[in-house]
Amino acid sequence: MQMLRVGYPHPLEDLREEMDRLWTSLTTAPPLHGWTRQASTEPFPAVNIFETDEAILLEAELPGLDPAELEITAVDDGLTLKGRRGEAEAGPAAETAEKRPARPTWHRRERGVGSFERRLTLPTAVDPEQVEAKLSNGVLTVTCPKAPACRPHRIAVSTG
Amino acid sequence: MIASPQANLTTKPPADEPQGLTYRPNVDIVDNGGELVLAADMPGSAADQIEVSFDDGVLTISAPVPARSHPGNPVRQEYGVGDYRRSFQLGEGFDASEIAADYRSGVLTVRVPRQAAVRSRTIPVSTG
Repeated sequence: MQMLRVGYPHPLEDLREEMDRLWTSLTTAPPLHGWTRQASTEPFPAVNIFETDEAILLEAELPGLDPAELEITAVDDGLTLKGRRGEAEAGPAAETAEKRPARPTWHRRERGVGSFERRLTLPTAVDPEQVEAKLSNGVLTVTCPKAPACRPHRIAVSTG
Repeated sequence: MIASPQANLTTKPPADEPQGLTYRPNVDIVDNGGELVLAADMPGSAADQIEVSFDDGVLTISAPVPARSHPGNPVRQEYGVGDYRRSFQLGEGFDASEIAADYRSGVLTVRVPRQAAVRSRTIPVSTG
């Protein structure tokens, strides 16, 4: 449920958000844990996929992610993106807590933390050993060269 | 926790750009007494063109995001790519000259310190 925050949050808004999350989790298929705090049934992360004759290219936005916490697996035509964003990367309060022992006050908390896992079926099988992934400025780009059998081959036509 | 009365934080609607969409980034805002720390998810921004301005109590963060084109046919498109922009009305008592910002891994972190005189201090109570 989309909620627009304006001005002071109502004292019961946190409770309402929690109830929304509970309700959504009970009435829909278990959503993958997204990186926003609003209850969402969309799979995370959102991806954009492109296909050429030679390869399949996937792009996703994963800001604040330590590359060591990202796990990408490819087999046949399946690609799995798995990872987690911990408090240290996501929350400015983590280092704040180190500097000042008193508990900080959150005025707004829209960026989530936690783990995600998404399994995608690609249009064709790919060659897992040639898959390359790059994470730059929070943008993940995964290039998957197609398995040789899946690339289009020009067939010669014999006559006579 | 519930926002304290010190800072009145509201957001303004995203600016409409003539070409492409402008997105409102998700943010975390934490008040640790001495300063306000804001973290915004802004992946793919042109790092050297990110703008952070503080004007009349309003903090604005914005960044152009260069289009990312890929060869081939789009098979699935679940999100759009566009510039980021968002404004916040902060309370009074912040020191604009000491604002610091850095951009790493697609996350913009802005620190807005309070003016020294405004920081709360514990007042000792004498007895007897």
